[in-house]
Amino acid sequence: MKRWRNLSLRVRLTLLYVGLLALLLAVLGGVLYWDFQNFLLESTATRLRAQAKPIIDEASAAAAPLEHAQTLARDLTSRETVALIIGPDGETVAVGKTLPEEPAPPPPDPAYDARALAGENEVTYVAQMNGQRYLVLLIPWRSAPGSPDILGVIQLSTPLAPIENILLRQKLMLGLGMMLTLLAGLAGGLWLTSSALKPLNQMTETCERIAEGDLSQRVNLPEREDEIGRLAQAFDHMVARLEAAFAAQRRFVANAAHELRTPLTAIRGSLEVLMRGAQDDPAATSRLTQGMYREVVRLSRLSEQLLDLSRIGAGATIHKQPIDLQAFFDDFLYQARLLARDRTVTLDAGDPVTILADPDALMEMLFNLMDNAVQHTAENGIITLGWRTTPESVQLWVADDGEGIPADDLPRIFEPFYRGDSSRSRRQGGSGLGLALVQALVEAHGGRITVESQPGQGARFTITLPLTMRDVDPLEKIG
Amino acid sequence: MNAKDVNPATGPRILVIEDEPTIIEFLRTGLGYEGYQVTIAPDGRTGFDLAGHQSFDLIILDLMLPDMDGFDVCRKLRERGNETPIIMLTARQEVADRVTGLNLGADDYITKPFSFDELVARIRALLRRQGKHPEQSILSVGDMVLNAETHEVSRAGEPITLTPTEFALLELFMRHPRRVFTRETLLNRVWGYDYAGDANVVDVHISHLREKIRDKPPRLIQTIYGVGYALHPEDDA
Repeated sequence: MKRWRNLSLRVRLTLLYVGLLALLLAVLGGVLYWDFQNFLLESTATRLRAQAKPIIDEASAAAAPLEHAQTLARDLTSRETVALIIGPDGETVAVGKTLPEEPAPPPPDPAYDARALAGENEVTYVAQMNGQRYLVLLIPWRSAPGSPDILGVIQLSTPLAPIENILLRQKLMLGLGMMLTLLAGLAGGLWLTSSALKPLNQMTETCERIAEGDLSQRVNLPEREDEIGRLAQAFDHMVARLEAAFAAQRRFVANAAHELRTPLTAIRGSLEVLMRGAQDDPAATSRLTQGMYREVVRLSRLSEQLLDLSRIGAGATIHKQPIDLQAFFDDFLYQARLLARDRTVTLDAGDPVTILADPDALMEMLFNLMDNAVQHTAENGIITLGWRTTPESVQLWVADDGEGIPADDLPRIFEPFYRGDSSRSRRQGGSGLGLALVQALVEAHGGRITVESQPGQGARFTITLPLTMRDVDPLEKIG
Repeated sequence: MNAKDVNPATGPRILVIEDEPTIIEFLRTGLGYEGYQVTIAPDGRTGFDLAGHQSFDLIILDLMLPDMDGFDVCRKLRERGNETPIIMLTARQEVADRVTGLNLGADDYITKPFSFDELVARIRALLRRQGKHPEQSILSVGDMVLNAETHEVSRAGEPITLTPTEFALLELFMRHPRRVFTRETLLNRVWGYDYAGDANVVDVHISHLREKIRDKPPRLIQTIYGVGYALHPEDDA
């Protein structure tokens, strides 16, 4: 069994296929041969009986028919058939063979003779004599057709050699046909399994190349709708997704490194300039130190956000607890106004509702959206926070009347490090991770975030969180 | 601006096209100390216009700029026939970027985060190639002559043998006459940024140097009490 399993699928399938074919052919050939042999014997018997009938009838019609037994035997004998007439006691009464070219009759078989004498009309058997086979027919000799009065038994025999020749030829032809069919089956089976399994080999080779690190490899089978075609398509699709994921990962790391370079350059350069002598000038020292402080703050914020993002990405647990949105926003508004400085922050409160969420995460989402709004709004701009509930969800939003987002940038603003207007947010200390972080947090809560914006007309970020029934305090609802 | 040691009206003019405030600050201060006249352009458009209206000896060009990126600025300057040497600053390290920059006509390329010393060395090399570097290899103050290339020092025609540290100290003083160097700055510039020893080592080497160059009062290398040291030529009042 182990050896069988070690054979390649191609060989196993072919062997199985050819084995079944051989079995089928053998059964079919056997049945065909047996049937054909019966047909030949029966038709010969029928023909002989038909030929003998009128002669016997004529002889029966004569007076004292037994006296003419010799004549009858003679009449029934030909080059291929010899007749023997057996009396009621089993003794041979007459033998038809007179010429040497006429076949010799096999000796009568008393067991069969008794059956014919008892009135059985068609006793047929094959007898063996001198290594030759004979077809033997026994016909009861009745005094008149249909009469129960049996005078004796007429034994007609004919050598089977001609029939056996035909059967031999038949056997050879069947055998040859089977061989040819099996060979064709073997070749066809090998071809069929090879062509069916070739894509599998192709996939194995592709897998091996991918395992070596080349994710750009694809199986790329020609269009086919069968199981293997579907497997190959699914496989290619999977590799494409993996490749995209790895590329995104690499891009993320490259971007992160890139974001680290700028503050590092500023800090390193400032330090070198200080050490080269600017430290001797208090004014220059103060300017450079302040710059370095800004950069260090930027670096810490960047590293914190990177960490947050990777924690959420790694499936950090969200500790949900009931949050009364009214109370939450009352708290948050104070911080939001600190962040907004001269900008006006208003709250568009919805119906009182208690949601299930992680308060720290909710705070971080709104804080980042607020930060983003502040960065893109003029000093005297207006920022609106608010929420609305529907039976299934709660929507929280942060809207501003700032510069808005160009349509080209809209689909990409949630990508880490993506900046539409690279200068502006970067100068103001944005890391490019804020919105990505918000999206990750919202999705960790099973919600989604959307943005609507027209350039010049501000932007509106909406967080939709699912509101399951148990999120709503029943008392709250009644109240 | 802060270039106390050279005449601000004669140092090579450098245009810095960069949008990061902190990087602008250290380049302005640091290059000013090295004796360059620094002009800042906070974005590509301004930089391109400035380079068209004024003449500069060198341009330091950041690749990532708000409006027009560094490649564009470089290409447009070259298209307009402006041949001012350009050093590109970039955070990207890809060879393709490097090649693109150089193909567009940038003369040199430096990757962030870079060392300020390295930037200065590259600026010097570029300016020297252009024949615009004011740095002479033979410096003289009074009867003292120093050859920076052969490392030879002589006073009143008599050769003086100095250790490398003493030579570096003397060269620094002679390149920046009248500038006051604190012990810390001297340590950083002569002994290196990562030198962790006592600042007194400066006093020891200055005293050896004075001995070797027979520096008698009124001294060439003066002690500025509570601050550090400065070289005052004898003809100073």
